[in-house]
Amino acid sequence: MQPFALEQGRDIADTIRRGRMPGTDYIAGGTDLVQLLKDDVRRPRRLVDLEGLDLDQITVTPQGLRLGAMTRMSEVADHPAVIRDYPVISQALLASAAPQIRNLGTIGGNLLQRTRCTYFRDTASPCNKRSPGTGCAAIEGVHRTHAIFGGSRQCIATHASDLAVALVALDAVVHLSGPNGARDVRLTELHLMPNDHPDIETVLHPGELILAVSVPAGAWTRRSSYLKVRDRASFEFALTSAAVALDIQDGKIRAARVAAGGVGTKPWRLPAVEQALVGAPATTATWQRGGRLATAGAMPLRDNRFKVRLLRATVTRALEQVGGEA
Amino acid sequence: MPDSAARLGFMLNGQMVEVGSAPIARLSAVLRDELGLTGTKVGCDAGDCGACTVLLDGEPVCSCLIAVGQVRGRTVTSIEGLPDASPSAASLQAAFLKHGAAQCGICTPGMLSAAAALLDRQAAPSEARVMDAIGGVLCRCTGYRKIVDAILDVGGGPSCAVDASPLAGRAVGARIERLDGRRKVDGSEIFGADAVPGDALSVRAIRSPHHRARFHFGDIDGFVRRHPGIARVFTADDIPGDNCFGVIGPFADQPVFAVGEARFRGEAVALVAGDAAVLAALDPADFPVTWEELPPLIEMDDALAETAPRLHDGRPGNILTRGRVARGDLDVGFAAAAVVVEGLFETGFVEHAYIEPEAGFARRVGDRIEIQACTQAPYMDRDDIARILGLPALAVRIIPTAVGGGFGSKLDLSIQPFIALAAWHLGRPARMVYSRTESIMTTTKRHPARMRVRIGADQDGRLTAMDFAGDFNTGAYASWGPTVANRVPVHASGPYFIPAYRATTRAVHTNLVPAGAFRGFGVPQAAIAQEQLFDELADRLGIDRLDFRLRNVLTVGVPTVTGQVFDAGVGIRACLEALRPRRDAARAEVRAFNAAQTGSLRRGIGFAGMWYGCGNTSLPNPSTMRVGLRADGRIILHQGAVDIGQGSNTVIPQICADALGAPLDLFDFVSGDTDLTPDCGKTSASRQTFVSGKAAYLAGQALRRAILREANAGEDATLTFADGGVTVEERGHRRALPLKELTPDARGYVLAAEATFDPPTSPLDENGQGEPYAVFGYGAHLAEIEVDLALGTVKVLKLTAAHDVGRAINPTLLEGQIEGGAAQGLGLALMEEFFPGRGENLHDYLIPTVGDMPPVTSILIEDAAPIGPFGAKGIGEQALIPTAPAILNAIYDATGARIRRAPATPDRVRAAIRALEIREVKTRDDTHA
Repeated sequence: MQPFALEQGRDIADTIRRGRMPGTDYIAGGTDLVQLLKDDVRRPRRLVDLEGLDLDQITVTPQGLRLGAMTRMSEVADHPAVIRDYPVISQALLASAAPQIRNLGTIGGNLLQRTRCTYFRDTASPCNKRSPGTGCAAIEGVHRTHAIFGGSRQCIATHASDLAVALVALDAVVHLSGPNGARDVRLTELHLMPNDHPDIETVLHPGELILAVSVPAGAWTRRSSYLKVRDRASFEFALTSAAVALDIQDGKIRAARVAAGGVGTKPWRLPAVEQALVGAPATTATWQRGGRLATAGAMPLRDNRFKVRLLRATVTRALEQVGGEA
Repeated sequence: MPDSAARLGFMLNGQMVEVGSAPIARLSAVLRDELGLTGTKVGCDAGDCGACTVLLDGEPVCSCLIAVGQVRGRTVTSIEGLPDASPSAASLQAAFLKHGAAQCGICTPGMLSAAAALLDRQAAPSEARVMDAIGGVLCRCTGYRKIVDAILDVGGGPSCAVDASPLAGRAVGARIERLDGRRKVDGSEIFGADAVPGDALSVRAIRSPHHRARFHFGDIDGFVRRHPGIARVFTADDIPGDNCFGVIGPFADQPVFAVGEARFRGEAVALVAGDAAVLAALDPADFPVTWEELPPLIEMDDALAETAPRLHDGRPGNILTRGRVARGDLDVGFAAAAVVVEGLFETGFVEHAYIEPEAGFARRVGDRIEIQACTQAPYMDRDDIARILGLPALAVRIIPTAVGGGFGSKLDLSIQPFIALAAWHLGRPARMVYSRTESIMTTTKRHPARMRVRIGADQDGRLTAMDFAGDFNTGAYASWGPTVANRVPVHASGPYFIPAYRATTRAVHTNLVPAGAFRGFGVPQAAIAQEQLFDELADRLGIDRLDFRLRNVLTVGVPTVTGQVFDAGVGIRACLEALRPRRDAARAEVRAFNAAQTGSLRRGIGFAGMWYGCGNTSLPNPSTMRVGLRADGRIILHQGAVDIGQGSNTVIPQICADALGAPLDLFDFVSGDTDLTPDCGKTSASRQTFVSGKAAYLAGQALRRAILREANAGEDATLTFADGGVTVEERGHRRALPLKELTPDARGYVLAAEATFDPPTSPLDENGQGEPYAVFGYGAHLAEIEVDLALGTVKVLKLTAAHDVGRAINPTLLEGQIEGGAAQGLGLALMEEFFPGRGENLHDYLIPTVGDMPPVTSILIEDAAPIGPFGAKGIGEQALIPTAPAILNAIYDATGARIRRAPATPDRVRAAIRALEIREVKTRDDTHA
């Protein structure tokens, strides 16, 4: 681990002023960043601590849910209104990591966590995401857990967050503040595809900070769920996952929100599935059709081909669990 | 804003503390290194294992993921302060002891912290809440269920049986708490990284980043000059003795530092000694070495190819060694078979994943070297370090610390040569703690296996022949490869009579991390093949799978595949029969469940049998125990068997106490230290209860005889140990032995005895015929599982484990071994596979979490081995072997899909089911056509 300084800003403006300096990283819960520092994957000259910026409120209004960026994962997961009105968020959080991590990890930090690609985290391996231009060891190497959507010749690393999958499904908006002022970005647009620059993962400008995430209310959020398939029962990232929210009235689907995890280079919304569901009857056949459409455009490689069928089954199962069998 | 140089304050265990560490220092490191609170354990340093869990403002967090600057002004509770801070802590500690929830103890502080936070908030949590609360703390020893039970007990759930201070003669069979348990639950136990002299230097190894590479050093002197704080760099040239070590003398081949060419990724080529902070900040890329990557041999087939380069001279074909057992005529046997089944079975590298990484320190004392470190084999360490340093063995002292899990890998040297070399040359203590990456990258693994197996049985379901050929990837160096190659042919038959048998093995060198000893020495891999094929045979013959095994089990008087015949203590039939009631009930439940299913869930049951020889294979294997009586009536047991969590610190005293006839609470212990305790061999091969236990039994008896002689009393006299003395009673006459008038020996004992036990075996001939072990342990597991056909996920719902332990010395500890072994077997079956060079951490390498482990019902069968202490046999490895084949058989039972490549991850299960579906569709289409 490289030596570095740990600072705290007086307020948000001061924090951003410090954060925009070259060689600076923000640190929130630190559950991911501390590992990256230890393994020399990140080598910032200084860290700016976001603790104490008063960004840890959970606000529930008829318009929706607002989660401060520094809210701990465990607080959101256990919040009664989240459990009642946005179960997919609570479930995605409870499926993440372990209690000791959820007590530290924050909502903003979770969205910005780095990939678990073992080549990215091993400084002895080439990796375009960590060291641009060195190549991608995963494409020829062991890539059982890698992405089947959104990969490029430069990178096939998956985005690791469960929460982001749930939030992407629910049309979440990210509230940002940076050196050039405040702006809102839809979560679907926060993360970038790797293309030729896998090292650039988000649209965030230097020093720009996530203040909060908003989830608009909708008739579908209460009827929502997160299903995660993994190699062991807990404390493990997804092989595949699905976040599903449905508005069903009189046996017909009026609105659908579906996203997938463990399969994309970013949290992966599945619009083709949603379009096929809307207007369809809430039946087993519909869920199966939805599952089949989930993998349109998938580009699997040698070791992760299994994810195609597994994702279809995962989405079908999640739809079935949320929509019921007619 | 805070100044980095300022001291930083927070509440720790009820007191304000100020620390001088940099704000970026990790809380775990500050607690341990600056504040000396070593009860907080560091297992992975990455938030993957939870051993470092402390409470931050009352919430459990991983202290290794927190910069100490982030806790400024907040409240931290570590295990040392937990009893004061948490109303549940004291009851939890007591419950952990009572239930046997702490084995090695390395995860215990983290477990207790996580559990206390839950119970303080919720007095009577559900089992699901308990499992969620400890879901982030990994335990490799217990299989978690006793931990869950202990927490539920404090929350008002069921308690368990415990025997407090048994009377004289009643220790064997008693469920006493482990004698070293208290310090495991209060955080005071000393593990390898915990007690280090203040002036110790640190050392850091420079390791090959490639599987195979030629290398050249640059300007090492210049490197040392340019880096203040670095004391010296060591290479092979600095080794005073042999640059070679290895656990099996004739095969020893591993250098401390590679010379010229590194043979596996992670092999050390040099060592840097200096200040800890300087070493931690050192970028290995700054070290003056250039690497020339060479094409490595990764697959066994590549290594076996005629044109393959040789890893070692004198090992043609890259074959380290071969094993063979042959009996009867295979052609005749297969000709007599009504049904023959065969298959190719494969397993991968499996990592031991003990939560304590290798750690310790060395110091030079005059012309001697002392090493305090975690180890399973102090005497073997001593001899190899003496060889490396060019010293006589008696100039080396090994002081084993508590061992935070070993499972075979801590039999081999790891840190010891490095710290010994630095301390020897620099005259200052030197310490080393492997990082988790270093531990996984460089220490031994379970051998990947590729096994072709053919088995035949006649119409009546009697086995007629078995042909087993196994290749085991032994990696770059010998380690325990020869043991695996020799043990597997002896055991591959399972505990069954097979008239015609041939088993051949090869241990094959590749440019990968050495594979060595891991609980079972290759036998778990072989059992995966044999027990699955037995199910196939039974099914083909239309015979009940349990009955099929019972028709073929070994019994008293029936020869094993090496021709060995036992006249007592063959308990496999009883183990299999013990499973029958649950098997019958579970089968009915499964049928009802599956019949009612419209979705994709299917349940199944499977079982497997097992046998395992206790101790070395046809080799001398002695243990020696010393026991002394002091003038004040205390009894001192010199107990050199290393307790790696399995419980020998408790079980061996129980045996000795009853052999002597003294109450256990009169005993004090001198624990493993090569200067103070006689050689008890290594903690491996399920030998400590049997071999060291028998030595303790003999020593106890010998001391009893010495006392009787002193009292001029006969064998039938009664001894009473009480009130600081010994009373002898014979034919109505009672008299106190005048202990204080006897002359104490150099150790302060007025009477003492020493005894050695070496189990009788005979060499195996060229066909592997002979008596390899004096005792076998037997067992059988039943697995009940649920498979999601669509997702390929497997959930184990319940395990029932019957084991013939000869005599249950301590049932609670035996259950702990069984549950923990079963958890490792479950991991082998369902999730564990290490890919060298990938995922050298505890997040990419998966071991079971609490959520993966089902309840385990242990059934203890006592078919005494006459030669064992009170009839006892070993259990350590026996417990793991049948779990994986039982689970794999259950997957077949549920799905009809046979998994021949472990682990059965969701993708492999799904693929096997898919292949079946395609075959069914084809068959249907063909039929319609």
